[in-house]
Amino acid sequence: MPLLEVRDVHTYYGNIEALKGVSLTVEKGEIVTLIGGNGAGKTTTLRTICGLLKPRSGTIVLDGKDLARTKAHEIVNLGVAMVPEGRGVFSRLTVAENLDLGAYTRTDRGAIRRDLEMVLRLFPRLKERFRQIAGTLSGGEQQMLATGRALMAHPRLLLMDEPSMGLAPILVESIFDTLREVNREGTTILLVEQNAHMALQIANRGYVLQTGQIALAKSAEELQHDPMVRKVYLGID
Amino acid sequence: MIASDVRQGLRSGMLLAIVVVFLFLIGATTTIADIFANALKQDRGVSLQAVLGLLALWAGSQAAKVSLDEKRPSWPRTLLRAGVAGLSSGLVIGLTLLLTLRLHEQGINLRTYLYQLSPASLDLWSLGRSPIAAALFHVLLPLVGCLVGAVLARGFRDAPWRGPASRRMSAVREAITRPLANAARTRWGRILLYAALGTLLLLLPLRLNNYWNFTLGTVGIYVLMGLGLNVVVGLAGLLDLGYVVFFAVGSYTIGLLTAPTPHNLMWDFWIVLPIAVLLAAIIGVLLGVPVLRLRGDYLAIVTLGFGEIIRVLLKAEALASFSNGPRGIPSIAQPTLVGLPFGSDRDFMYMIILSVMLVIFLTNRLQNSRVGRAWIAIREDETVARAMGINTLTSKLLAFGIGAAFAGLGGVLFASRSQFTGPDDFNLMVSINVLAVVIVGGMGSIPGVIAGAFVLKGLPEVLRELDAYRILSFGALLVAMMVLRPEGLIPSTRRRLEMQEARAAESPPATPVAPVGRGGAA
Repeated sequence: MPLLEVRDVHTYYGNIEALKGVSLTVEKGEIVTLIGGNGAGKTTTLRTICGLLKPRSGTIVLDGKDLARTKAHEIVNLGVAMVPEGRGVFSRLTVAENLDLGAYTRTDRGAIRRDLEMVLRLFPRLKERFRQIAGTLSGGEQQMLATGRALMAHPRLLLMDEPSMGLAPILVESIFDTLREVNREGTTILLVEQNAHMALQIANRGYVLQTGQIALAKSAEELQHDPMVRKVYLGID
Repeated sequence: MIASDVRQGLRSGMLLAIVVVFLFLIGATTTIADIFANALKQDRGVSLQAVLGLLALWAGSQAAKVSLDEKRPSWPRTLLRAGVAGLSSGLVIGLTLLLTLRLHEQGINLRTYLYQLSPASLDLWSLGRSPIAAALFHVLLPLVGCLVGAVLARGFRDAPWRGPASRRMSAVREAITRPLANAARTRWGRILLYAALGTLLLLLPLRLNNYWNFTLGTVGIYVLMGLGLNVVVGLAGLLDLGYVVFFAVGSYTIGLLTAPTPHNLMWDFWIVLPIAVLLAAIIGVLLGVPVLRLRGDYLAIVTLGFGEIIRVLLKAEALASFSNGPRGIPSIAQPTLVGLPFGSDRDFMYMIILSVMLVIFLTNRLQNSRVGRAWIAIREDETVARAMGINTLTSKLLAFGIGAAFAGLGGVLFASRSQFTGPDDFNLMVSINVLAVVIVGGMGSIPGVIAGAFVLKGLPEVLRELDAYRILSFGALLVAMMVLRPEGLIPSTRRRLEMQEARAAESPPATPVAPVGRGGAA
């Protein structure tokens, strides 16, 4: 049984149908990427999974539990953490407070401290800036903070919304390296990206989303060689 | 170089001219002169000139001010700045005076246009001389004042004793605050400090007369409400403009349940007190359920509406059988203590002090609790807060309920102390005042809210001397305070940190911050 199974999900913004029957699965231990252009519905898919948006129909099953009928704050407790688009750090709080809020739903102090050590090991920069206001961090550091904060929830499934946005290529590479490391340590990742090139390099499998529907579902390897993907998303003829 | 000197001089000069002409036109100078004349046992004319002279000295020192990024100018340039400031302001003031005095001479009644410009105040300014002579004098006064002010200011900055003196001052300050700060860090030291503070608060009401007990009691009630609204606005970031609702719930609960009219229930004060606080909290939560789905500006407008609705409802003749309508509720019960009446302004002062201490304790605990962290997250970014697993609705309802309970407590004490409450106690100004207490004091800061309440409710009492200009000068003070300290009188450590870092971000950093990657990649 897959860790996450999204089946025929329709999500609306008012009367506008943003997701027109999206289905996808994420197996335990995988990195799955969702690529697509602007307005394809990538962010909407993530927000629907983590409960910030409610689907009008369809099911989202995490380990046998239907997330479509669970409130956003309870979904975190089930082991789903999101790194929002544009990073969404609490810019007026310190790095320490941001990380602390990531573990908001947890009460196991010892485990929280271990996770904090793990996050600070993954991102040594955050240790240096521990008492600094998050708004004064650089874009790359904010992305690290947002990722670290999500890891503080000790998720089984990590949802990443365009971690490469607005970052220099070298920083993107370093973030993706970290994601691979996080995945190696047992966290399943669903990664939304416009930077298809980078995403397909670290993912096991990928889905191509077009105007609210899944257009392609293949292994990352196959997608890299798919003529349509090469032309539209990788910019190679 | 010269141009920048002239510009700085003109700036200070115009500031002085605006202040003086404004004071002149609204006739405030007679009042100010009276106050000084009383205080110094001097002639009113002399007093006025002393005040104007002081203003000119200040303008002169402003003109001579050296900004941080410029080299200190030479003496002639300092004098040039001061001269320009004095002359420009003098000309404006002199011409205004000349014009008004001439008009007055022609028999035009200036009071038709400027109500406060009485002949008496004109006499004060003209010094009993001809308009030309008076105008000339008022050109010379700022000029001399500015020059002297600049020389004094610069001389003071250069004085040889100044360095050691300021060092000695900070050493003295250190000697006082260091042991206190150290003492506060040890357990027994803290207990001792609290005990000292407690004794002071116990003895204070005894030493005060009724007037001051009443006035400070009102300040205390505003501290209560300020701390309550601070939870809602300062911590949870929900802009509530109808906070007066909960104050009204507290007041009317004690009123309706203890007064002979309209219901003749005559319950005991101590029984009603917790009921009223609880009821205010419940109403807070009930109001919150529909309202808290809104965000930001919409929330502010809807709460504003609720605030007005409650006043209109209480005033309505149709509901008079329930709430006594516009007549309000007289003869509200006061508390008794072991059978003895406990209702003097001094007794209420004690109750208010106790309530404030309780509320401070609770707020302090809440702030550092789990729900306190949830509030901060919601204030910063509600969507992300939800993604962190925070139940935003219940957290917000809790903030609303707690804030409402504090206001309800304030309402009970307020109504019972004056033994009367009516719909007009609950106008929009109460909500605005409480919000101002929070903002002026410093959002999210407990000492800030206390300072804010003292400034906003205490200062107007002190300013009573200024009579007709009380509200005017109060407004000017508020504006000045927000310009000088936008983060509030005593900002919370968080706000202070933000402001500092924001300021640091404005000026270019000394060393460029490298983009940072893992392992120091740049």
